[in-house]
Amino acid sequence: MGAVVQTEQVRAELIAHAPEGARPGKPMWLGLELEHIPHWHTYWKNAGDSGLPTTLTWTLPAAVSAGDIDWPAPQRLPLPPLLNFGYEGTVVLPVPVTVNDAFDGETLHVELRADWLVCQVECIPQSGTFELDVPRDRPTLTHSADFERALAARPVDVVKSTAVAIVNDGALQFEVRGLPASIRGRDALVFPELAGVVENAAPVTQQWIGDNWQARWPLSAQRSESPIQLPIVLAFGDQAYRVVTRVSGWNAAAEAGNQEVTSSAVTVSDLAPATAQVGLVTALLFALIGGVILNLMPCVFPVLSLKVLALTQHAGNRRDRWSSALAYTAGVVLSFLALAGLLIAARAGGEQLGWGFQLQSPATIVALAALFTLIGLNLAGLFEVGSFVPSSIASLRARDPTLDSFLTGVLAAAVASPCTAPFMGAALGAALTWPIAQSLAVFAVLGLGVAAPYLLVSAVPAIGRWLPRPGRWMETFRMVLAFPMFATVVWLTWVLGQQVGIDGAAALLLALLALALGAWWWGRRPETGAARVWVSVGIAALTVGAFAWASPTWRVAASEARVAAGVGGIWQPWSPDRVSELRAAGRKVFVDFTAAWCVTCQYNKRTTLADTEVLEAFEANKVALLRADWTSRDGVIAAELERLGRSGVPVYVFYHGASAPRLLSELPSVKEVREAVTAN
Amino acid sequence: MKSPVSVLGAAAALVLGAALAHASVSVGQPAPDFQVKDINGKSQSLSAYKGKFVVLEWVNPECPFVKKHYDSSNMQATQKAAEAKGAVWLSVSTGSGGDASELASWVKEKGAAPTATLLDTDGKLGKAYGARTTPHLYVINPEGKLVYAGAIDNKPTANKADIKGATNYVTAALTEAMAGKPVTKASSEPYGCSVKY
Repeated sequence: MGAVVQTEQVRAELIAHAPEGARPGKPMWLGLELEHIPHWHTYWKNAGDSGLPTTLTWTLPAAVSAGDIDWPAPQRLPLPPLLNFGYEGTVVLPVPVTVNDAFDGETLHVELRADWLVCQVECIPQSGTFELDVPRDRPTLTHSADFERALAARPVDVVKSTAVAIVNDGALQFEVRGLPASIRGRDALVFPELAGVVENAAPVTQQWIGDNWQARWPLSAQRSESPIQLPIVLAFGDQAYRVVTRVSGWNAAAEAGNQEVTSSAVTVSDLAPATAQVGLVTALLFALIGGVILNLMPCVFPVLSLKVLALTQHAGNRRDRWSSALAYTAGVVLSFLALAGLLIAARAGGEQLGWGFQLQSPATIVALAALFTLIGLNLAGLFEVGSFVPSSIASLRARDPTLDSFLTGVLAAAVASPCTAPFMGAALGAALTWPIAQSLAVFAVLGLGVAAPYLLVSAVPAIGRWLPRPGRWMETFRMVLAFPMFATVVWLTWVLGQQVGIDGAAALLLALLALALGAWWWGRRPETGAARVWVSVGIAALTVGAFAWASPTWRVAASEARVAAGVGGIWQPWSPDRVSELRAAGRKVFVDFTAAWCVTCQYNKRTTLADTEVLEAFEANKVALLRADWTSRDGVIAAELERLGRSGVPVYVFYHGASAPRLLSELPSVKEVREAVTAN
Repeated sequence: MKSPVSVLGAAAALVLGAALAHASVSVGQPAPDFQVKDINGKSQSLSAYKGKFVVLEWVNPECPFVKKHYDSSNMQATQKAAEAKGAVWLSVSTGSGGDASELASWVKEKGAAPTATLLDTDGKLGKAYGARTTPHLYVINPEGKLVYAGAIDNKPTANKADIKGATNYVTAALTEAMAGKPVTKASSEPYGCSVKY
């Protein structure tokens, strides 16, 4: 076995590209180079009217995993009246490789079994076994030119585009917006990534209307698939693009067309929204209930504890208590509205965002961590707020506990978003598809739900009598409340670590340390004297310097950090293609849409999804487990969530055969998951 | 600005594409009738078998995918099972390359037992049914309606070992249709070598 296999028609070679050696966290590619003799060809991921795509089966060390083939844009291979898609001449099929930290070998030993169908007029199925050693400490650059070409020949994913396909009169009407201006007006060769939908050899009529590319492609007369997403490759001369079109209209086609809908092979039910469409009243009700339950979630709890403290301070004065409660409610509701407004505006502008979007940005995480650290230190007694601000503002705050309550409400809303309570998911998902007024109403009611328990408790006149009188115990209680605050900081540090890596997380801790030192000094600095000035300046510089020094580490890392997180073992990384592939192969698929900053997701991961009964059910039913990590911004995941009728995580989807995807609840029980997996 | 060549090319594609795209039948529609000579010189038509289930199977003895199902006797077994239940099995060879006597000896050698083997020399039959691969299979019910079109099974490979665990779509379609039930998998993506028009 070597790296080359030669047949009469094809010279195949296993090649590698590792510019920084085969090491964890470093870029690495493997590839199969196929050199065909003239007039012979192999096939693309969708071979077209006949033929079979080349398949690669890797044998790699445990800490190394290879992704799917990153197919270069194909050529049209006409065989009138049929049409296939594939490659003539020489092609390199590149595969991205991820090396985990656990890899410690001196060389990476790669084994490959490749199967390809090479045809001219007749077809010959061929295969080869290859092996190659990629050194860890030396760069592998022998084929860098080949890889450069192959990677450049890949269609560019146009993520910020809207692409739809509507079934109309026996054809698919495509409409793609957001393609680069440089190719406007040009004709494309169009390739469907899924087989069994369009009539491959039929002419595709296309036109440009402004910056909108439109095309019409007749459906296959014996179409066997009705996908909800159809990725297509558009080749404009040398430059190729890839868009994932959202397909709709199969229902109408099935009714109007001659096709007898006797079978679930026509996956019409796939088009129905995965959850029953939620009406406005139902959504409002769900939002209210969800908001109340949110109070129990660890996100809101630290803030709630602050409110409990405030409540004891106003124990005697009912009016104060009530106005404070109203201010808190106003703060929560208005903040939810503001967040929702931001989200809606951003989405209208084309951003692929969902609920909880603010926590996808490391800057927000850092800011929240800093804020919570200060609050925690304040509660613990490291410094007093009165000494922190000029006396005039301090007295303002003392005079206006209403403002204080309002601000606490704002804080509660900002931090509540990563927690998703049951009922909330469906309500918010529906809300974001509605006109602005109804949409905002749902978010306002959510806020109301969050504030409701506190509001109700404050309204009870007798509460004044139940609460203990202010006294020394308050000091202790206040200090105890610091700990949930710090726990939240720990959690935020972990989230940041997921987004930017361990260096960024450690840098945050150091920056917070400097911040703590600064806060302590400001609280204790002498009223006058040289020391006051110099030490203050020094510590301020230290704090600012710490944050400045740390900020480069807070850039979102490349997909390496994300891919490693939560994926591995039985969980594979999610992609829409992977789901279609697995479903086409007849497997059941379970997808976990999750994010590091989503507390509910983490909870489920460690309880229900780690339960032995559930894992056994997964294994027994050969369910493919995919994880979609939304810790950082991801347009593809956001689009998929929207298509499922949701806007935030967690979302658990179960695909079985041709029936509609089944969504589980946000806090699924072991019973629920097992039922879904074993149901027919 | 479109060049004249591309316009001409598009027109040609339109004509060729139209031949296949617009003429071929869909599942659920009446199956087109035909008049094609078989390897014994006899003229065969669909209407002659009205009132019976008819299976059409596109063959090419050179194709590795056809060989997969014939060398393993899978296709022969499927044919015999279908005929035992009263169906008519018509093997079709499209293209001018097919030689009647060679085909006949291949059929005999493989122990295949189709009711008749048709020679679709001008490709009209293939185009009417949209036959793209060898093998490509169609099941027509006694009323003349197309109830299944697609692959023989759900494992698109050239490997004999994959037959054992595969679901045979043709047998399933016949069983369901003969029992009066709707066919669960009425359409599948066929796999194999291209039909040589």
